[in-house]
Amino acid sequence: MVSFHRFVSIKKKVKSWSSGAATMQGGYSGIGYGLKYQSRCISDVKADTDHTSFITGTLSLREENEVHLIRISSGGTELICEGLFSHPNEIWDLASCPFDQRIFSTVFSNGESYGAAIWQIPELYGQLNSPQLERIASLDEHVGKINCVLWWPSGRHDKLISIDDENLFLWTLDCSKKAAKVQSKQSSGMLHYLSGGAWDPHDINAVATTCESSVQFWDLRTMKKTNAIERAHIRNANYDMKNNHILVTAEDESGIHIWDIRKPKIPVKELPGHTHWTWTVTCNPEYDGLILSAGTDSTVNLWMAPASAEDEATSESIAESPTQQADPLLNSYSDYEDSVYGLAWSSREPWIFASLSYDGRVVVESVKPFLSRK
Amino acid sequence: MVEREKTRNDDVPLDDKAKRMRDLLSSFYNPDHSSAPKPPSDYENLDAINSTSFDPDHYMNVLVQKSNLEGLLRRHVEMAAEIKNLDTDLQMLVYENYNKFISATDAIKWMKSNIVGMQANMEQLLDKIMSVQSRSDGVNTSLFEKREHIEKLHRTRNLLRKVQFIYDLPARLSKCIKSEAYADAVKFYTGAMPIFKAYGDSSFQDCKRASEEAIVIIVKNLQAKLFSDSESIQARAEAAVLLKQLDFPVDSLQAKLLEKLEQSLGDLQLKTVRIENILLESNDPSKQGKAFESIPSTGHEVSVHGFAEAIRAYRVIFPDSESQLIKLAQNLVIKHFEMIEQCVKSRISSANFLGALRTIWTDVLLMDEVLSEAALPDFSLEAGQVTVKKYVASTFTYLLQDISDALLKVKVSPNEAAEEHALKLALEASKKAVLQGSMDLLLDFRQLLDDDLGLLVKLREFIVDWVQEGFQDFFRALDDRFLLLSGRKNPSSQDQVLSEGALGEKVLVGIALVLAQLSVFIEQTATPRISEEIAASFSGGGARDYENGHAFASGEICQIFRSSAEKLLHHYINMRTQRVSTLLRKRFTTPNWVKHKEPREVHMFVDLFVQELRAVQSEVKQILPVGLMRKHHRSDSNGSTNSSRSNALLDDRMSRSNTQKGRSQLLETHLAKLFKQKVEIFTKVEYTQESVETTIVKLCLKSLQEFVRLKTFNRSGFQQIQLDVQFLRTISRENIEVEDAIDFYLTRYELRSFHVIVAASERCFDPVPLEPPILDKLVQVKLARSKEQSK
Repeated sequence: MVSFHRFVSIKKKVKSWSSGAATMQGGYSGIGYGLKYQSRCISDVKADTDHTSFITGTLSLREENEVHLIRISSGGTELICEGLFSHPNEIWDLASCPFDQRIFSTVFSNGESYGAAIWQIPELYGQLNSPQLERIASLDEHVGKINCVLWWPSGRHDKLISIDDENLFLWTLDCSKKAAKVQSKQSSGMLHYLSGGAWDPHDINAVATTCESSVQFWDLRTMKKTNAIERAHIRNANYDMKNNHILVTAEDESGIHIWDIRKPKIPVKELPGHTHWTWTVTCNPEYDGLILSAGTDSTVNLWMAPASAEDEATSESIAESPTQQADPLLNSYSDYEDSVYGLAWSSREPWIFASLSYDGRVVVESVKPFLSRK
Repeated sequence: MVEREKTRNDDVPLDDKAKRMRDLLSSFYNPDHSSAPKPPSDYENLDAINSTSFDPDHYMNVLVQKSNLEGLLRRHVEMAAEIKNLDTDLQMLVYENYNKFISATDAIKWMKSNIVGMQANMEQLLDKIMSVQSRSDGVNTSLFEKREHIEKLHRTRNLLRKVQFIYDLPARLSKCIKSEAYADAVKFYTGAMPIFKAYGDSSFQDCKRASEEAIVIIVKNLQAKLFSDSESIQARAEAAVLLKQLDFPVDSLQAKLLEKLEQSLGDLQLKTVRIENILLESNDPSKQGKAFESIPSTGHEVSVHGFAEAIRAYRVIFPDSESQLIKLAQNLVIKHFEMIEQCVKSRISSANFLGALRTIWTDVLLMDEVLSEAALPDFSLEAGQVTVKKYVASTFTYLLQDISDALLKVKVSPNEAAEEHALKLALEASKKAVLQGSMDLLLDFRQLLDDDLGLLVKLREFIVDWVQEGFQDFFRALDDRFLLLSGRKNPSSQDQVLSEGALGEKVLVGIALVLAQLSVFIEQTATPRISEEIAASFSGGGARDYENGHAFASGEICQIFRSSAEKLLHHYINMRTQRVSTLLRKRFTTPNWVKHKEPREVHMFVDLFVQELRAVQSEVKQILPVGLMRKHHRSDSNGSTNSSRSNALLDDRMSRSNTQKGRSQLLETHLAKLFKQKVEIFTKVEYTQESVETTIVKLCLKSLQEFVRLKTFNRSGFQQIQLDVQFLRTISRENIEVEDAIDFYLTRYELRSFHVIVAASERCFDPVPLEPPILDKLVQVKLARSKEQSK
């Protein structure tokens, strides 16, 4: 399906983007890459230890959707399309397998119904003319709208979690047999429409799910709720990779909150977020307190907000005298033309992140200049 | 030698013999020849027969050779004569010596005979002396008894005299009582005391009783004297001294007197309390100051005067009672200040406060006169410092209260009619409360400063500092309060919960806007004026060191309020958009958009949406100033005019070419690129009606767009969205009042709503828009219906 001609044209496009970005930001540049259609999700390919690569998929209702595997060139000046695969439906969620770089999951929709699947990139995809993704497993127990598929972020684990509007599924994935089985399933309960979730990297049995009015914490062994943060309109949640018990949430109007999940009443810290909705938030896998958020105001904000215990005192004083505190906002990347929904840190080079705006533009930036500042 | 003797003797012819004798004797008794004449010359040597070196042969030879015969013969004769002379002299000498020896022997013999009788005489003498002594002893012993007797008699006489005195004592005492010579009486009594002590139980019982009775009377009299205010202080002091001499328990007296003093103190306080009460009752501001000044001049001052007098007397009476008195006086001062503090708690005007201070100060000065050791001025200075500080602090608290009251009044009038202007009223009232309140406050404090009261003069620097500090703290507190009232701050403590609970949800939203505008007002108007005022009349100070210069840093305040104004405005916008978001969320989650039915009318959520926007409009109109359109229009972006026109143009074209799916799609993407979304979305919000309103509208439409993006539509769903948005556009067009604003509005509103339709068409399987006539018709129906409803 994907012609060679098209492939080349994309590469050309890449170059023009990157050069354009370079002049725009004067000296330091984010590297750009254009997808053909609108898209929402991007994921770091964590298992690829040789290259810094990201995987992203398009969201087009009426056109043929694509999955792009992109890689930062060795010089770090270009984004190269490593692989381009067609995907049957528009992609609403995409997550790379943390232990196999060729495996990833997607949540997709044909407009009326949703589906989720685990895919494998064919081994010799570079040599194939039109490589096809291999579907390892379909997570087809869902009924309603599927929100996301979660991999355990910290290592090899044969379990998967998928979340739809009303249920939480725990799957056992067997890659060799190419099969996924539902291990357990739990309904979120009445009037709790789930919207997403995060898997605790420190605890293989702990998962947080977001819904209309709260963040709920689940124990996967019992599939029971253990705790909840009562907070409305949480759109996204992300565990701090470095600090246990720290969860960062993004809310529509009221910005970003950092929680210590042992103390779910009051957030440890509060960040102003974005001018419109704060769509997604993600903690840096390496640098403590470095948080990235993306919003529908077409910006990506880089925050420095350490949430360790010693900072609790200062967080209180923030509330009292906000003017005297150093601005937690390190930088605001505003070189986007539409809402930014996709955001991913590179785990291989943790000072690099990829962002994806709705118009299908991937921008990879380095936060190095801001790291030296702290 | 002879010759020489001769010649010498020639000069003294008389007693020639005696002379020679003496010489001889001396030569005899004086064997020492050192005194002999010097060795003679040749001639003399010849002559010096007496010398030891005399050489008779040589002499003879010389003589023979020198002299002639005649001379020799003469010499011979001479010599013979001399020899003869010498012989006789010798003889005489021997005789004489012998005589003397004999007489000495005689004397010794006589002496010997005399000494023999002396021993006996001496013994006799001793005997006599002995007898004299024994006689005198005898006389002594014989007289001793009599002398003893005489002495005893003498003692008895003295004793008798004392006894007499004691017997006379009662009479004498009564006499003294009669003549009020208490001092004498006490002297007598104390004189007699030892006797009474010794013999009081036996011999002088009656006497003792009588005199004790007398003394009791005396004591009574003395006490009376002591306590009677009419007596002179001197007399009272004497009485006290006498009482003390009488071993009367003066301490208890002292305590009693002190009690009396304290009692009078209590009376004094009671009076003051009354004064304060009167003061508090007279709420008429014109009378207040006067009332206070007139009352103490009559009642209070007199009583304090009396108290001071009493203290003076007391001090004289009990010279060692200072510490107690000091305590008492300090107590009085403390009580006074406590009273004032009590009053301060219940809000009094500075005139009253001043009056009260003045009263206290006069009291203090009065007492200081009589009791300078108590250092009352210093003491009251300290107490006053605390009180004035509290006064300053409480005044600020009241101001804060006033302001929040003014703000919260909105809630009191919840009826619809008042709603229209409620926020405006609140804003005006609170503005006034801030500015007028602060000015009044400063005026009050100025009164404190300008007063020449000693207490305040000394405290002046402190007051200046307190006022400055107070304002600083006040504004900080006010800022806190604002954030609290706006509900922005999480109510973590109880009092916050309380104030928040009192607020209705509806008011809360508007109040954020009021607070924002009020913050701007404080930043731009109130703070400069206050700092000006402070600089004018509260400069100086600096009793303490400030690390950051002045206590009142208007810059800092301005900054605080600038930032909180921004925060509050954003909070307001946030709250408003949040409400719309909730509305939209409900709208978009419920229906199944993929199976949507053909649109028949504008969905009712649009009504709610418009209603929300209207509410914003009304609130904004009440509070914020009208912005300058032209300025906005130009400063925002020059390109926007063009784009808006082309937008309208393209819009028209789009509706015309809607049947052609492919072309419309092309158009969409084209347009989307034409109007870069982010460029004009999130500009800085200004404090104008237009800016705030458009920001809210923009944000709401952006939310709408985002919600649309999350859904997938069938053709009818898309058309429904189209219809709803179209209606919104029509309504908003009608809302534009100022001609000039149209362009401006279009660029914002139209573009945003256009984006919504683009988003919807992107998420639609089959984006075929409604035919314009149908669209128009449906919109008109809705318009007519809403007009009907409003009528």
